[in-house]
Parts: sequence; structure tokens; C-alpha cells
Amino acid sequence: MADKNNEVLHVGIDLGTSRSSISSSSGERHVIESYVGWPLDMVARKVLKKSVLVGSEALQNRSMLDLHRPLEQGLIKEGSDKDEAAVRELLWHLLSLVGVDRENRNGRKVRAVVGVPAEALRVNKQQVRKALQGAVDSLMIVSEPFAVAYGMEALLHTLIIDSGAGTTDLCVMNGRLPTEEDQRTLPQAGDWVDEQLLRLVRARYPDASVSIHMVRQWKEEGSFVGNSKTPVVVTAPVAGKPTQLDITNEMRQACEGILPPVVESMLDLLSRAQPDYQEKIRNNVVVSGGTGLIRGLGPRLEQELQQVGGGKVRVVKDPIYVGSDGGLAIAMDAPESDWERLTK
Amino acid sequence: MPGKDIDRLKRQLLREVVQDNVDLAEGRLPRGLKRPPNVWLRVLMLVLLSLGLFGSARLIPSLGSPAVSPTGAPAQSASVPVATVAKVPIPPPVPTTAPTPVDAAVFPLAVRKIALDPGHGGDSLGTQAPLGLVEKELTLDIAQRVRKLLEADSFEVVMTREQDSSVSLEERGLAANRDGADIFVSIHLNWIENLKARGVETYYLGATDDPYLTRLAAAENRESGYSMADMRGLLDRIYADVRQEKSRTLAEVVQASLFRSLGKVNPGIENRGVKAAPFIVLLATEMPAILAEVSCLSNEDEAALLTKPLYRQYIAEALAAGIRSYADAVEGKPEGIDEKAGDKKGT
Repeated sequence: MADKNNEVLHVGIDLGTSRSSISSSSGERHVIESYVGWPLDMVARKVLKKSVLVGSEALQNRSMLDLHRPLEQGLIKEGSDKDEAAVRELLWHLLSLVGVDRENRNGRKVRAVVGVPAEALRVNKQQVRKALQGAVDSLMIVSEPFAVAYGMEALLHTLIIDSGAGTTDLCVMNGRLPTEEDQRTLPQAGDWVDEQLLRLVRARYPDASVSIHMVRQWKEEGSFVGNSKTPVVVTAPVAGKPTQLDITNEMRQACEGILPPVVESMLDLLSRAQPDYQEKIRNNVVVSGGTGLIRGLGPRLEQELQQVGGGKVRVVKDPIYVGSDGGLAIAMDAPESDWERLTK
Repeated sequence: MPGKDIDRLKRQLLREVVQDNVDLAEGRLPRGLKRPPNVWLRVLMLVLLSLGLFGSARLIPSLGSPAVSPTGAPAQSASVPVATVAKVPIPPPVPTTAPTPVDAAVFPLAVRKIALDPGHGGDSLGTQAPLGLVEKELTLDIAQRVRKLLEADSFEVVMTREQDSSVSLEERGLAANRDGADIFVSIHLNWIENLKARGVETYYLGATDDPYLTRLAAAENRESGYSMADMRGLLDRIYADVRQEKSRTLAEVVQASLFRSLGKVNPGIENRGVKAAPFIVLLATEMPAILAEVSCLSNEDEAALLTKPLYRQYIAEALAAGIRSYADAVEGKPEGIDEKAGDKKGT
């Protein structure tokens, strides 16, 4: 991706509950786990040789860290200085991956678009703004589905269903910035599926040792709704012995748990759209986000759309960078005069 | 949608986004944000409340209730959701910088201040012998003796505890760091399953595959909260610095001194050697550090010897002699580390 100006670096950042990504106009793209950790004590600090760890490195060393996942249920947590600091560290880390240091000493102008979670309040946006002071010259904060829609040029008569780890957000794009009437936010998303799956597996195999991290991995590998051609068989210790467990039914039940609220919200939003455009919107449903990758979800939603005349559902196949790429597209499309208005 | 139309739509949306952000930066409400009607109701109620027209007990709970939109659905903010991803190959973690060995010659500093760490204390009894001997009491007694000897030789001595008190393993190292000690010597008594075994052994920090040392370190580290798996991970990445070399040297000198000195009054003593093991108390320090197991409480003969103040004084003399030898060597004095390290002070 060529830059308009060699002295300007444009970046799009997707600040996600589970993972966060950055896309830059220099062509670099990175994704990290949305975890930040500080060494628990002097010994840990000494061992880790870092004052703060971010991403998978933080997750791997969690036993030595005060570990924070600062975005939960789609919200930047409030009331904790550590979570605010964690958001700051996440952003700084992402920027460092594309060569922007905290003092921005390389002299380039950095213009960033940050996509924030649903329900992100003004105070959250201010936190993001404050966190990036000094690192970027100009900053734009946008809602994440808008960034997704912009990147996909799905800005008109489109229903975006963005299902991540923390929330499932539904948003009708009507050629304007979405307002509260255009969207719904549901807590049934990836983390919720994990919790259901954990509960169901423990109920069926009470002697098995199963953790939330294990079921999360199983879900990422074998989630589905409807019928599965192959059984979902996983390995977990039972009385210390690795044992194969068939969790096909539990996986189906956990994943299908998100369907009723998602379908209800989808149909509700469609019914509230202007009658002239309802058919267009029904035929332009876009499912994005990691949880949107549940096998069979797209066809199942199409099946549900039959009750209102049918429609087409498109699943974003590569959701890793769809948000940050959208942010980057916004950053690069915004005119110089607009960026000047946003320069600190 | 034709290209020109989409471009026009994009420009229009960008203008709205920019204005929204300008409003945010300047503290104004975004233009796209519609206040739910009951927000104004809340404002009105707050005004009335401030005028004392309503009882606060009745109103305050209602102020905390969820906002309701005209449609009856829960009100939501104007901002929208985040896309998170699953099934994503996570890039390998950024490797931490591996510690680089440092040439010891760049630290030709004198040893002036000694941190002595009497093992255990307070709730942590350490090992116990049938004769009523408790490790925490013996280690404190020996440390106090060493302190007197070193202070007489113009060393400055700091103690991690001076009475029967609980001090965490981490805090012991931290205290030594805060005090700016030049070396750290932790004093312990051993317990070996083979009750016939006896002798002295000295440790410096490092990884080990020896099951016996692993068990020993696990027992000593019990208070720290770190598992042995944690420790192995830690040690793989730490301590490849000059301190490890200096710690090993200090351990060798002290071990030699203990074996030589105590051999005179304890003929059956075994030289169990200098070993690396993952002790938390050593990990916390920032100076050359060792842990000396100065006798075995599990051995009946050595336990009997430990009841005698003179034997404990021998141990103290041997420790002090070893420390002096090490200090001399660091300063380049010819009488520094040598084979007779343990014979210097009338042991």
C-alpha cells in the first residue's frame, strides 16, 4: 500500500476484546492477544527483564504477572488504573510493531484510526485519546463495525453482524454514521460460548480436568452449528491420564446458544429499516469477527431470513485484519484538511 | 453502487466521523448522539432533587436504572462494536533479550558490606531434630556469631532478620539489595533422607536436573508461591551474567572453608560439594549470593554437635573465613582465595 506522503504513516488499529490488530500504510500488519501483564514482584521483574509484557508473551508468562485483559464484554473496563494502563500499553505495543516509538522519534507524522468496542463510552474514547498522546500526531476514533463496513465498502443498505469475543454487535449501515437506533449489542459472543462449552463438558465428563483455555482452543478448532460431518473429539486429562472425549453435542449446544438472540436482533433491526430498503439489506448481511467463523453460521442465518422473505449472508473469511484494514482505509481516505483539524 | 456514488458517500461519512472526533476532543457531545428522552427527565429530576422537591431515598434508585429508548429497548451509546478474531495463527512471541555474559573484570569492586540471611524464622521452623533443635534458632545463632566476627574485621554486616520473625524469601533478597550489600550468604541446616549422611554443601543459583536438589529447592522455596516449573523457566533465561560466576567462586571458597574447619572437630564430615540449585532467596538478590547448608540436622551425630555452642562457633568461624578469603580475592590481595581458605582464623 503506497503512502500519499512518505513522511506520513497512516495506521488502522482494531482494539479487540480478545485480539487487537494494526495495519499500516507501510504494508505491515500485526495481530496480538489483548493481554497486558506486569511482573508480580521484583523477582518476576528481574527474570522477565521487562516492566510490562503484552500479547502472547504476557499470556505465556501469566504465572509471574498481574495479567489484565483490559477489554471485557466489549467494554474498556472502568475503575481500574491498571486496565487503563493496559489499554495504553496495548496501543503503544501495536504502534511499536510498525516502528512507532513512544516519543515518535523517527520524525514521521503518524495518523491513526482506532476502532473501539461497542458501548465504548466517551470516557473510554478519551482514555484512548490520552493513551496515544505523544505517539501519534492525529487520531480518529471510530466504532469498529463502521471500520469494518468502510473497509468492505459496505456502507449502504448493509447489516453488519460483528461477533467477536466480548460481544456480538449488529449494525445497519444506512449511508450515515450508525446511531443507537441502527444497532444492537449482545453479550452472547465468543467468551460466552466458551463458558457454555466449559459448563456442558464438565457436566458430561465430571472427572475430566478442563480449563477455559482448553475449551477456547477446542471451539476455535471445531465450532459449528447445525449438523457436523465429523465428531468433535478432544483430549483432556481424566484422573491424570490423557483421554479422548467426544464433545460434539456440547459444542453444537454451546454454539447454537448464540443463535436465538442474534436472530431475534437481526430480524428486529430489519423490521425497523425503511420498507423500501429492507430487501436490499436482507440480501446484504455481512458476518465478521472470529465468532462469525463458527461453521454453518452463515447458512443458518440465511435459513432464518426465510421467515421474512429470504436473504444472503456473507461471512468474512479472514477476520484478522478486517477491522484494522478498515481503519487504515479511513485514515488514508481522510483529506489532509480533516487530519489537520484533528492534529493535537 | 457506482464508484462515484460510493466515493461521495465515503466523503460524507468521513466528514461526520471527523466532526464526531473534533467534538470529542473539544468535549462536546457528538452530533450523531441522540439523547434518550429520559436523559432530560433525569436532568430535570436532578434539578428538582437539588431544590429539595423530592426525597432522595425515592429518586436515587431510579437514576441508576437502565435508560430506555422510545422503542422500549435498552438505550445504547452511539458507538459500535469491535471485531475480534478466532482461528487466528498467533505470531510467535517477541523473544526476550537473552542475558549476555559479562566480563567479571569490569566489576573490580571491593567487598565491604555482607548480608547474612539466617534461614527460616517465625512461622517457618525449618528442619527439626529429635533433640529439640529447630533450624530457625540455630541459623540465627550462627549468623549472629558470623556477624561479630566480620564486624571485628571491619566489614559492615546487615542481617535479613535479627530475631525470631517471619521474613519472606523475596524480602530477604530485597533487603540485601536495599542495603547495598556486596555479597549475600544464606545460612541453613540440611535434612537428608539417608539419616547416615552428613556434611556440608553450598549452593549458588542455577538450574539442576538432580532430583534430590530439586526436592531440596522445592522445600526451601515453599513459601515463595513459585512452582518448580516456574523456576525452571526462570532459570533458563536468567543469571547468565557475572553474578553467577562470582557466586560460584564464593560458594567454592566458603565450602572449602567449612569442610576444612569443621573436619577438625567432626571427623566424619562429608564434603557434599558446591552445587547449582534454584533457590528463590538467591534469585531475589542483586549481588553474588550463596546458600550454605552448614550441617545435617538429620544426622544424629551432627545434631548432637549442633547443641554445642563451640561447634556453632566453628561453623561461624568457617563461614567468616570463607567470606574474608573471597573479599581478599576480589581486592586482589595475595592472601585471597587459596586452598587454605578455611585455616585463616584459628579454626
